[in-house]
Amino acid sequence: MVTTLIIKELMAIIRSPKFAGAFAVCAILMLLSVYVGINEYQASVRQFETAGRLTAQRVQQQTDWFGVTNRVHRAPNPLQIFASGLSYDIGRFSEINVEEGVKLRHSVYADDPLFAVFRIVDFTFIVQIILSLFAILFTYDAVCGEREDGTLRLVLANAVPRAHFIFAKCAGSWLGLVVPICVPIVLSMLLVVVAGVPLSGPEWAKLLTLIGASLLFFTFFIVVGVMISTLARRTAVSFLLSLVAWIAFVLVIPRAGVLAAGQLVSVPSVAEIEGRRDGFAKARWVEFQRQMAERWDERTADADSTLEMDGEQVWGWMEEDQRARTEIERGIDEFEGKLIADLRRSREVQERLGLSLSRFSPAAAYQLAAMSLAGTGLELKSRHEDAFNEYRDGFKQFVEKKQEEYGLPNVVEVSITSEGSFNIQTSREGPGLDFGELPQFDAPHTTYAAALTPAITDLGLLAFYTIVAFAGAFVRFIRYDVR
Amino acid sequence: MLKTIIEKEIRDIIGSTKFAVTFGICAVLILLSFYVGANNYLVSRARYEAAKAENLRQFAGLTDWLSVRQHRIFLPPQPLGVLVTGISNDIGRTMQITGRGELTAEDSRFNEDPLFAIFRFLDLDFLFGIVLSLLAMVFGYDVISGEKERGTLRLALANAVPRHTYILGRFCGNFIALAVPLIAAMLLGCLLLPVFGIALTGGEWLRLGLILVAGLLYFGVFLTLAIFVSALTHRSSSSFLVVLVVWILAVMIIPRVAVLLAGRAVDVPPLDEIDAQKAAFNGQLWREHREQVAGFKPTADDDPEKLMGEFHRFMGDLADERDKKMQEFAGRLNEDRHNRCRVQQRIAFTLARVSPAAQLTMAVSALAGTALELKDHYQQQALAYQEQYARFMKEKTGINTGGQMMILRIRQGEDEEPKPIDPGELPVFEFRPLGLGHSLGAAIVDLGLLALGNVVFFAGAFITFGRYDVR
Repeated sequence: MVTTLIIKELMAIIRSPKFAGAFAVCAILMLLSVYVGINEYQASVRQFETAGRLTAQRVQQQTDWFGVTNRVHRAPNPLQIFASGLSYDIGRFSEINVEEGVKLRHSVYADDPLFAVFRIVDFTFIVQIILSLFAILFTYDAVCGEREDGTLRLVLANAVPRAHFIFAKCAGSWLGLVVPICVPIVLSMLLVVVAGVPLSGPEWAKLLTLIGASLLFFTFFIVVGVMISTLARRTAVSFLLSLVAWIAFVLVIPRAGVLAAGQLVSVPSVAEIEGRRDGFAKARWVEFQRQMAERWDERTADADSTLEMDGEQVWGWMEEDQRARTEIERGIDEFEGKLIADLRRSREVQERLGLSLSRFSPAAAYQLAAMSLAGTGLELKSRHEDAFNEYRDGFKQFVEKKQEEYGLPNVVEVSITSEGSFNIQTSREGPGLDFGELPQFDAPHTTYAAALTPAITDLGLLAFYTIVAFAGAFVRFIRYDVR
Repeated sequence: MLKTIIEKEIRDIIGSTKFAVTFGICAVLILLSFYVGANNYLVSRARYEAAKAENLRQFAGLTDWLSVRQHRIFLPPQPLGVLVTGISNDIGRTMQITGRGELTAEDSRFNEDPLFAIFRFLDLDFLFGIVLSLLAMVFGYDVISGEKERGTLRLALANAVPRHTYILGRFCGNFIALAVPLIAAMLLGCLLLPVFGIALTGGEWLRLGLILVAGLLYFGVFLTLAIFVSALTHRSSSSFLVVLVVWILAVMIIPRVAVLLAGRAVDVPPLDEIDAQKAAFNGQLWREHREQVAGFKPTADDDPEKLMGEFHRFMGDLADERDKKMQEFAGRLNEDRHNRCRVQQRIAFTLARVSPAAQLTMAVSALAGTALELKDHYQQQALAYQEQYARFMKEKTGINTGGQMMILRIRQGEDEEPKPIDPGELPVFEFRPLGLGHSLGAAIVDLGLLALGNVVFFAGAFITFGRYDVR
């Protein structure tokens, strides 16, 4: 009997006039989103390659180890085709040098805000907004619609346990909606292959898990639709309730959770942190200059001007000053590191709270799972900052070694004494800059396990919500008045 | 008769569950967006003030204006910007002022706090754009086809009710029944602002009023569209599906596809390429000027202050010359890119304006001052401030301190400790939002299109209903 009911439900959906239209819309939108995503990804790859080439040229043109700057870029991620997440909101590159800390700058949306006016539509967007709406459209009258039509009591007049009926409703709806939608999903994946987007084994595993999460999300809304249809006796009321639930789950709760965290946990701005760092740096530099002035007073006490002194001795003093400068820079770096670590900690508290509150919504759980699997979630920024910092450590060691070999910066030293003598000295020429051994940046890669771990909670939540919704439908239907 | 139909419609709607649910959603969401917006504004304002204070604090204790570096200005939060966020969270807010050279804004809200970029903000554009339009569809999709299914349409038209009166009455009744609670919720929301201590100017209240008008026009577009579709079909389930598909296309797809098409149609050189060209030219200029600095020979006598002054003037002249050449070079590159961006924008917005959702977004963000031009407007004001800053620093130090060569003044043999500078003397950056006239001018086309949409779809419903088979 269960099989019969499932087939009946399945056929009712497939034969419904709504089905062809809804399926066509979903399929077209899904394929369109992936097609657009592929184009955007390929454009990002071209931009990344161009940026890398230009950076390499710029590095080669530098003439002084003191002040050498490199730039490292975030590589585009093929999985952003399906879940763009924060890819376009986070900075694309960071300057790497001895003086400045790592900072991701120039996000795509900041550079070209036209694309921020109407944001990108990706696969997860289609699933979240369109598929969920269609799930509700097909299931809001699953039970109350049959009651209004009078068929519910006819079915239950047979020896059909209510549990079987409600299970068959859910299963039949699921088969009728999820199985057809797998067709455009498979076509989307084929489109990725045909377009030549390189996906490694772990990336395919992540993608398939993302697809699984999407189908689970879709399943949740199918079951919720059925559950709501058991709460109402009229289809009009059920439809409204379903719409309210959709608005709450998909649009409101995710945002409200994050905004509440923003109010409850205060995080200083980057501008404030940079102000504090600059204040610290200035105090150290002022002290350094005072000490340097005292040192030069002592050094030049017996001479009228540095012109009268031994050139090698003067250069030695300048090297000593340069070492003191390097020490100051290290101290400032450490201070900045502490500030950034504090900022990160308070931000993590805010993020944890915000995401915990948002996770009351299955749409938020799905979005977070998709972004974790695609590698475009919140960890995108911290992962790259950590990788850039690690690279910077190696870069600094390399550059500082070269600075020691090179001697002094290519600066022009101007001295004016109180006696009115004026002297300009340019630094001696060092060996030509050889960037052959410049450390190369290795983009961070996340293994499948590392991507899945943060997503497990969200996938578990989705499954839990689905089970709760089914349990709710079950319990309600057992006591449903079928007359 | 028209009045009777309108009254009947209003009574039917107010007594229905549909109305209670819709009003409940609207009221809760509007009040929530005002509440969250107000809080967000206060938090943003506090952060802005803290950043400004920290910026000035870093100069405390300095005794020489020549040591003043890394002065920053910030884009302040605007009260209406939290109600219609537009692109305000996507663009950089902090600029470092040196006295000369190009300015780049950094630290966009979403780059700094990506948590808020995941789900974005709950603002009026989102509420009107997505929620209100959905509710308009829920109200309008079965106005004609639903009545036909229930058998009441032929009963109504069995009376001496002209069809045009009937359809007008149905539309007005539906519109009034939703518009009144919407306005009430908005007014309550507006009352929250002074409660939170957020004072809006008269101009800002007017803008907010116009944002409400845009919302109502937008609601009207989807209501008339839904009624039009309802008059095209004979089953309410079909009309809902058609309306839903149109909604998805209009709200979700067309605006985004328009931007993507514009992106393909106009080739805009990437910023990385422009920056690389500027950096190469800048490097070349620095090398040329370094040689000139090394060859400097003072003409002044033994007075160290005169020597210092002559050297500073020489350095200042070199920096001015470098700046001028750089401005010419960078100006050409920037202008070319800017022009292409403007063409791209024009194409994107022209295509997007097919969609009422895009019309709404552009109208309300222009009125709130968070439209695309916010970035350029901030840039222009920052450049004007940089000139003011340069003049101030020249007054204090004798030179424009912008440029990367550090000028150190080492005082020797002085008996007194130099006095610390007063950072409060630094000119204050006051951001002036775009004027009301300008914003209105930018929004008027979209407001007009929304009004036109109402007329066109109503005309469509009118004509279609005139030939509708009511049996």
